[in-house]
Amino acid sequence: MLFIQLLASGIQTGALYALTAAGFALIFGATRIFHVAHGASFVLAGYAFVAASALGLHWAAAVLLATAVAVAFGMLVDLLVYRPIQRHEASFFTVFVASFGIVICVQALVQFQFGRGSVAVSTSLTRSAELLPGLYIAPVFWVAAGVSLALFTAVSLFLERTNAGLGLRALSENPELLRAYGLSSRRLSALAFGLGSALVVPGAILTAATTGIEPAASHRVMLISIAASVVGGIGSLRGAALAGLMLGVVENLVVLVLDTQWSEAASFVVLFVFIVFRPSGLFGKAVTS
Amino acid sequence: MILRRQFLVGAAATVAAPSVLRAQGAAYVLGTLFPMSGANAEFGTMYLNGVQLALDHIAADKMLKNGIDLRPIDSQGTAQGGAVGMTRLANVDRASYVLIGFTGVSKAAAPIGDRAKVVMVNGGGVGPDLATLSPYFWNILPLANQEVRAVLPFIKEKGFKRIAMIYTEDPSGMAVHAELKSGLPGVGGELVGAYGVAPTLTQFAAIAAQVRDVRPDAVFFASVSGVQAVQIVKQLRDNGISQQIMTYSTGNLPSVSALPESEGLVFTGQSADWAATEPTMKRFVTGWREKLKSEPTTYGLNYYNATLLFAQLAKGLEAAGKPVSGETLREEMLRVRTFQLAGGEVTFAENGTASTGVQLNQVRGGRIYKIA
Repeated sequence: MLFIQLLASGIQTGALYALTAAGFALIFGATRIFHVAHGASFVLAGYAFVAASALGLHWAAAVLLATAVAVAFGMLVDLLVYRPIQRHEASFFTVFVASFGIVICVQALVQFQFGRGSVAVSTSLTRSAELLPGLYIAPVFWVAAGVSLALFTAVSLFLERTNAGLGLRALSENPELLRAYGLSSRRLSALAFGLGSALVVPGAILTAATTGIEPAASHRVMLISIAASVVGGIGSLRGAALAGLMLGVVENLVVLVLDTQWSEAASFVVLFVFIVFRPSGLFGKAVTS
Repeated sequence: MILRRQFLVGAAATVAAPSVLRAQGAAYVLGTLFPMSGANAEFGTMYLNGVQLALDHIAADKMLKNGIDLRPIDSQGTAQGGAVGMTRLANVDRASYVLIGFTGVSKAAAPIGDRAKVVMVNGGGVGPDLATLSPYFWNILPLANQEVRAVLPFIKEKGFKRIAMIYTEDPSGMAVHAELKSGLPGVGGELVGAYGVAPTLTQFAAIAAQVRDVRPDAVFFASVSGVQAVQIVKQLRDNGISQQIMTYSTGNLPSVSALPESEGLVFTGQSADWAATEPTMKRFVTGWREKLKSEPTTYGLNYYNATLLFAQLAKGLEAAGKPVSGETLREEMLRVRTFQLAGGEVTFAENGTASTGVQLNQVRGGRIYKIA
């Protein structure tokens, strides 16, 4: 039963990793920008939800506020930071350093406003009940799994069935051809940042409810997102989501065979294994030079 | 001629006056090395509140001829912060007496303080090896071994046979783990599961599942981080652990005791009776409540007492006409040994420990009650 319990914990953790990683993969896949500040979107969304809840706002209003903050942040970073840099030089490294700088700034601002410790939202959703003998499941498990599945399905349908979705998929392939068809790469880029940033919101809110969120959380979020993107196959939304889920499950199941302190390191062992034995990831395409 | 002599005397007095005045009126430098930022800032703030309250009382009583210049340094609760902070306090600020918290910080700072002959007093770290850290290092609180010994009779009384433990893999957590592991067989118990975690870990769902799987009668956790302690208690309860939860003095933190999931939490801590009529304790309790609008804590009391201790040592040296330095403070400490502090007489032993009692507390309705 311990195996099933840990598997359930892993699915809950992994579902949230999956959405966050899918957001990162969506942005990177469409724009080829290594958006390290994706972790900062996570932190801002979490703190916006906590602040709104502390002010007594209804949870739905708090969710909307958190979403608005994450989406606005993602789009503003694209508009005010990445685009000016790309106008002058499209160096991958310059954009990466700028993005990393944003993470540090956001962390400092959140620390200044809310303190360095973690903050949490108290909710009965985190209280487990015994589903089967020895198997305890909290309502938050169903929320995490349900929301992740629903959002991932919605985003997949959007990308496959709408013109904007097709445009996003085409953006990374050939921006010039997009312009020839009368589509705006700038608007599509903003859409990618808005949509990708919105995907961090469930993870941020449920993290604030289950384990608490802290200003420095963005670093771990980014490491998980990058690991999931590599394991899933660079640019593959489906791959990132599946890899995110897998990393969450591995992180929890590893304590069956190793000491608990190895739990956090397990994700990166999986990453190294993929880099060495399958560098193209789960759904990536092998590239030969 | 007279005019010339008067001029020379006047000129000499003018030149010498500032140094004479400085010598007579220079404030004593009191350093603090507490975590004022990061996950442990709650501890540092509480420690400093105790120091500042004591300084208020020392100044109001005009205990010393010279004032006290407080130099607070943020250790960030890390060994590196402790080493850097102590270097600054000893070599730049020239502090003769430094108040320290946290085991890792103390271990890093002690050799530097020892070399510079600075008296260091710990009121927060509980690692047993803090007892013999340096001839200049003193503890004013019970150490982990003393705390764990105090919880063992409770475990025996309640008939808990199977104990699970979660502990941080830092000097303090590992010390508590070792003490509990060796102490349980003596009361008919055993450690059925021990889970070491990184001091920064905040996800305990997998560990809670493991704890539940070993079917313990009670769970003991040891973490110096308030943030982590809150998450351990919350996530154990969230994940279906209904057994008794126990810890050591971390349970004193308001953020821990105020948590709804902490209902029934049992923890050890330094003996402290907030309703005592002993004048110094009464003054501390009243002063804390008036100034900070909250209930006092034993951590606050420890640093209040550690600051009063400095004032009593310096007062003794002033009376004897001796300068106040790390060396003379230590000599005075060894000469007097027993001091009247808040809560009663405290005697310091040769190995750096103090004769303070340990009590068992329980959280009920967000408040802390002494149970043994």
